[in-house]
Amino acid sequence: MDEQTPLTENEQAVPGRKAPVVAPAHKAIKKKSSITKLVLIGVVMVIGMIFAFVPMRFGLTLYHPFLSKEAISLGLDLQGGVYAVYQATNTDTDNFDAKMEGTRASLESLLSSKGYTEATIVREGSDRIRVEVPDVDDPSGILQVIGEPTTVRFVLDSTNETIITGENIVNAEPGYDNQNGYVVSLEFDSEGRKKFAEVTANNQGQTISIYLGDSTTPIQTANINETIPNGRAIISGNFTQESATELAGQIVSGTFDVALELKESQTISPTLGDNAMKYGLIAGVVGFILVIAFLCLVYRLLGLAASAALIIYVIIYLFFLAVLPWVQLTLPGIAGILLSIGMAVDANVIIFERIKDEYRGGKSIMAAYHAGFKKALFAILDSNVTTVIACVLLILLGTGSIKGFAITLLVGVLISLFTSLVVSRGIVKYIINLNSYNAKLYNLKRAKRYEGLDAGATDAAVLADMEREKQEKEEKQQEKERAKAERRSQKQKGGETA
Amino acid sequence: MKLSQKWNALWDNDFHVAEKRKIVFAIPLAILVVGIIMMIIFRFTLGSAFNLGTDFAGGYSVDVKLGNKLTESNRQDYYSQIEEVFTSVTAENGKTYKVEISGAMQMQGSGDTASIHIKYSQINGVSENEMSNYVNPAIISALEQNVLNKVPNVSVNGKVITATYDEVINADGENSPFTALRGQFIKVVSDLNKNYEAGITVDESSFELNPENNKQLIITSSTDVKNSANLRKAIVTAMNLPDKYSGTVTGGDMVGATVSSELLFTAIIAVVLSLMFMLCYIGLRFQLSSGLACILALLHDIVIMFMFMAICHIEINSNFIAALITILGYSINNSIIIFDRVRENMRSLNAKKLTPEGVANKSVKETLMRSINTTITTLIMILMVAIIGVTDIRIFAFPIIIGLLAGTYSSMCIAPSLWALFQRVGKNRENFNLPPVEKKNKKAKTAKTSKIGA
Repeated sequence: MDEQTPLTENEQAVPGRKAPVVAPAHKAIKKKSSITKLVLIGVVMVIGMIFAFVPMRFGLTLYHPFLSKEAISLGLDLQGGVYAVYQATNTDTDNFDAKMEGTRASLESLLSSKGYTEATIVREGSDRIRVEVPDVDDPSGILQVIGEPTTVRFVLDSTNETIITGENIVNAEPGYDNQNGYVVSLEFDSEGRKKFAEVTANNQGQTISIYLGDSTTPIQTANINETIPNGRAIISGNFTQESATELAGQIVSGTFDVALELKESQTISPTLGDNAMKYGLIAGVVGFILVIAFLCLVYRLLGLAASAALIIYVIIYLFFLAVLPWVQLTLPGIAGILLSIGMAVDANVIIFERIKDEYRGGKSIMAAYHAGFKKALFAILDSNVTTVIACVLLILLGTGSIKGFAITLLVGVLISLFTSLVVSRGIVKYIINLNSYNAKLYNLKRAKRYEGLDAGATDAAVLADMEREKQEKEEKQQEKERAKAERRSQKQKGGETA
Repeated sequence: MKLSQKWNALWDNDFHVAEKRKIVFAIPLAILVVGIIMMIIFRFTLGSAFNLGTDFAGGYSVDVKLGNKLTESNRQDYYSQIEEVFTSVTAENGKTYKVEISGAMQMQGSGDTASIHIKYSQINGVSENEMSNYVNPAIISALEQNVLNKVPNVSVNGKVITATYDEVINADGENSPFTALRGQFIKVVSDLNKNYEAGITVDESSFELNPENNKQLIITSSTDVKNSANLRKAIVTAMNLPDKYSGTVTGGDMVGATVSSELLFTAIIAVVLSLMFMLCYIGLRFQLSSGLACILALLHDIVIMFMFMAICHIEINSNFIAALITILGYSINNSIIIFDRVRENMRSLNAKKLTPEGVANKSVKETLMRSINTTITTLIMILMVAIIGVTDIRIFAFPIIIGLLAGTYSSMCIAPSLWALFQRVGKNRENFNLPPVEKKNKKAKTAKTSKIGA
């Protein structure tokens, strides 16, 4: 995307000449297109900021900006939610304590799989489990998430024998099929699969009824038409998407090691309230302004470019926060995001320091810019790849809030790569296009050796080095290609003879 | 002008970081030693080396059910009342305990069912038995007395008995607290007269509310009342505001850890695995020794953060895990930027003319401005959080600030020194002009130099 700006005529290599070359003409390169592009970036930025921060009304529909309670789902500590206390119905079984712990873990993974990574599940007393779910306003909403646990039984009607119970069910999911509309599909474990196959093979033409909980009226009765070996069954019957989801949740909860009964469920107020958000926002804005001031002070116009890229970073970040379902903003989340703003600057700082180095070493502003981005690229990629590795592993293996936090961190790293390597690079390029001869604008300084050298000019010796490097690289590339071609032809020959 | 001259002169000099291994490693070691000493001291004085929150260690919970009295607008007042109760709880065994509330209090439910959920940790040095037999009941009764305001102040003056409550007594209708209290009193009058020779004569018309504040129940007897301490005590007990109007306190139950052992276990597995993958990646892109130095620097940061939490005895809760992950990302970033310079310098310089320390120092010097500037921007943001944010977010910010500083130190000092040290070992030596190590095995190692970089 970035075509190399041609060297100006005065910068042509003069091998062997050590003295600084004559200053090039001080004029803007591609002035019109650079200005147009800068204006374009500015417009995109303003539109982005409007979408990110300003609530709007289109006719009757209200638009919620990315940064609003409506768009970003907030964790328990910021928005509250609901809690439910479940009580074990049968406490005198073997290993009760271990079973409760297992049930707690099952609940945790159930909630996490539904996107409630910030839900907390905690044992209360010896026989109760307290579940807190954020971002649900209505106490009955928790029933849709976890469901009032229920068991499911498959009974062969002719003998009135229970074939399969919840113990043999591994998973229950809502689904849709064309014949039955919304359904709940069940998956059995190996034992259940075997039993189900056996019964369906031996009792063709009979009926099986499915009962929920202690109910004596079946939710569904089905004919056995064929042997079902794959251990999958479908419950159908006038479900809506919601009721199918709810029933699936109830059945999954019914498979827990311990039978649970809902004792109470209520709303919870946020523990931190609006203050936390408000002060978090103030801290963010103040810190942001200070960072921008610091960047502009140290890097001047380059810093301005970085600041623009940073604003775009924040807009994109907020967009993803609003869009991604697994991200629930919590208190450490806010701090993490604010910190990521500080870290997003890093890539820019690395690049700018490189540009400074290159300029100090005798390159023109334009040449220093190209060399700076090129040399910084691998450092930035390498350092971010390692962070990405850590995040991906934490997302894959971690549970609960750790997973959520790793997702926010990963999103931040990827966006900052984009904004620093693409956005800020573009802006810096267009700015330098407009003025590539006034080093003061960028706070660039020459080393003592090159003090007299014009800002728009590259030292002849340095230029010669650059040319040589370029040539060497090209030669290497050609050699590589030649070797590749040779290998390919040899392979072909080998194939022919074989 | 002088300052800037000094600043510039600094850049002309060489840096000597990598060879000062003793100082570089002594600083974190000193912190580690102080940390361990503090941990031992805390272990024996406070009962635990780390201040683990209920997130990790579990604890107890209590619910203060206040019903309609509790609203969104007055919950903060109740929170501070409860906080005060917890600072000093006197139990039946005569001891006074200070109980730490863990995390933030939670208001749950609304209207009739509104209540406050409080979690607290087991007090250091107090056994589970003592907690459930003395501390928990004491907390419940203290909350009942001070937060529910069930108990009136009773005085007797001539024919008049006054019961003063801390809150307004509603007197509207048959189901009002006023009617309930009147019923309660009339019920016990005969007992009071019998047991304390009180001489009270009342009927329903003897009761009225002080219209000035509606908090004082005035009972006027038609005969003189004998004023005695025992009588007043009995009246206080009899005139407790019923639960329906005052609320109840339930709980004192043990709660498990929110951060379960599985969650911690998987988190540790994930971190260890990611460290190994990082090591592989850095090994491929740079050198294995760079990877090792990076990982050791990272471990240093984590250890320093833990030592900080131990030394200051700050509560470690689930937010701390988030802080650790953040620093994990930050620190590795920092080290790699320096090793990228090392990689470049090893390629472009004739390393044979230099010592490993020389290459490391040069790389640190060249990336110094970047390290300083990035640390400044990151610190600006997190300091703002620490200065402006609410209390909970501040507690989260402290370990991060420490982690940032530790990360900057480790990537600028520890990682390069370690790398230089590793270069003096084994095959790596051949990259540099180092005096040969005397070895019995004189199998000449030919030009098999280890590869550097990609």
